[in-house]
Amino acid sequence: MSVIAPNFKFSEFVKSILDNIFWILLIFVLIGLPAVFIILFYIEMPVINGELLTPFLALTWLADPSRTLPILKAFMTTDLFRIAAFPGFGFAALLAAGTIFIERKMLAKLQLRVGPFYCGKIEGILQLMGDGLKLISKEIIIPAKADKPIFWAAPIIFVATAAAFVALIPVAPGWVVADVDVGLLAVFAIIGFFPIITILSAWSSNSKFPFIGGIRALHQMVSFEIPLILSLLGVVILTGTLNLSEIVASQTNFPWIIFLPIGAIIFFITILAELERIPFDLPEAESEIVAGWLTEFSGMIYGLVQLGTYLKLYAFAALFVVLFLGGWTGPMIWPPFPEEIITDGIVIGPIHAKIPGLPVFSQEMLNGVLWFVIKTVGVIFFILLPRGVFPRIRIDMLLSLGWYKLIGLAFVNIFIALGLLYAGVLGPGGIL
Amino acid sequence: MADAVFLALSVITIGSAIAALELRSLIYGSIALMGTLGGIAGFFLLLDSPFVAMFQLAVYVGSIAVLILFTVMLVKRELIFKKVEDKRRKFVGIALMLVLMVALGSVIMDSGIKTITTDEPAVDFRNIGADFLTYYWPALILMALILTGSVTGALILARREDVENEQRTD
Repeated sequence: MSVIAPNFKFSEFVKSILDNIFWILLIFVLIGLPAVFIILFYIEMPVINGELLTPFLALTWLADPSRTLPILKAFMTTDLFRIAAFPGFGFAALLAAGTIFIERKMLAKLQLRVGPFYCGKIEGILQLMGDGLKLISKEIIIPAKADKPIFWAAPIIFVATAAAFVALIPVAPGWVVADVDVGLLAVFAIIGFFPIITILSAWSSNSKFPFIGGIRALHQMVSFEIPLILSLLGVVILTGTLNLSEIVASQTNFPWIIFLPIGAIIFFITILAELERIPFDLPEAESEIVAGWLTEFSGMIYGLVQLGTYLKLYAFAALFVVLFLGGWTGPMIWPPFPEEIITDGIVIGPIHAKIPGLPVFSQEMLNGVLWFVIKTVGVIFFILLPRGVFPRIRIDMLLSLGWYKLIGLAFVNIFIALGLLYAGVLGPGGIL
Repeated sequence: MADAVFLALSVITIGSAIAALELRSLIYGSIALMGTLGGIAGFFLLLDSPFVAMFQLAVYVGSIAVLILFTVMLVKRELIFKKVEDKRRKFVGIALMLVLMVALGSVIMDSGIKTITTDEPAVDFRNIGADFLTYYWPALILMALILTGSVTGALILARREDVENEQRTD
């Protein structure tokens, strides 16, 4: 007969419990109390229902339902929430994750395959989670002669740069992480960082295929940055501002794609090239150079680079929406919040539950976010579509396309914008 | 707050400038150079001119640093550098730099720049553009001509006529 714990002694058991209590008390005193004091001293707590929110009463926050929603609303006005959750990283990462799944599934349907199927009951919907778990649990292998600091830092900086790009995108009126006056210039400055990170990570892995891929990525990104910047100047000329929120606000009557279709097409093509998507996926050409500059990445480092790539995809699609499709503007289709819930509360039989703090979001904001997401998902769909249709183009064709044709067309677009401006049709003081 | 940021930026800028000069590895040197140029963009931000700061980032960090990295990666180091170094040259160089910095600093301090205090709002970039196209137009045209000349010259220098591409069909 086996015994579960043959060396069990009651005194040892008591001692281990006392040990645990001791450590918990010690950690609480050394970390928990100072944390409360740091919050008290340095963080301005909001006033909820006429009394200051104190961290000492943290547990009573949960017990008082009349304060839950106001606390939530107060939290939503903080910078932390904006950066981490809603218009910033979390929202973008959610859309990016959706994009990965939709891309795999849609590509499979286009090519008469099934795609992810077994993970999760319906159409392999948990495939993404499975992939994430696999990437997290895999070992990160670093090539023996790699330059370790750059090799480690490059994926992290890549994600950080993509997140900085996301932070500039206005999602709804007033909902933007960084509302800067020179927003479009900041976008150009941030785009300029991607080729550096790519070439550094490619060089640091000290391997042939990544280096060839990195050089190709550098060629491609640098040559397509110029038509990208030039194609957006038409919008800047017509709106007279570089602030992305103001550019959206200028499109309440009509989006700029109506007047600047050439600029929109150039910008779309340069987006494809900057994102290294088919037909411009030369830096990652898997039939020629293994996986291009991603060859040596493994485990979560690869996962980070993929996350950064899809964040970048979301950000570029959102930039297209903001500049050419009118951002959050659109007819009001979101139903208004029912008035009687605000005034009377929820009535279920004899129970009246009055919930202060409703509505959490205004109707305009929800409607704006809805339109923004619809448009962005549409643009993402059109970015994904060529992958199922086109082959990869040759690198000399790519460079001649970027340097000759797109730059020429971008100047045509600028002259159209100038013509509209000086004819007095659009722009400050125009007819429309 | 601004003072702390200024101090941090100064340390980053000067430190990475020294690193860019002193590091053995050329790649790390050019990364440090990027740090210097980015630090200067930070100074422009502190001076309430985000327009210039963004152009500093886009042009210097985004393009020129990329060119430097590209050159460093593709060119063999032994071909461009001959190691001529000894302690004396180094110390003389440092002394020369200190003398220059002290002289320039004293000139700038004496020029009355310390007494300037202003509450005026930062210059709008629209005014910069308008000034460029009206009062300073000759300078603009001259810059454009110089840039065009240099680009054309670079294209002519980079041209190779001995390469025949028989794969091209278009």
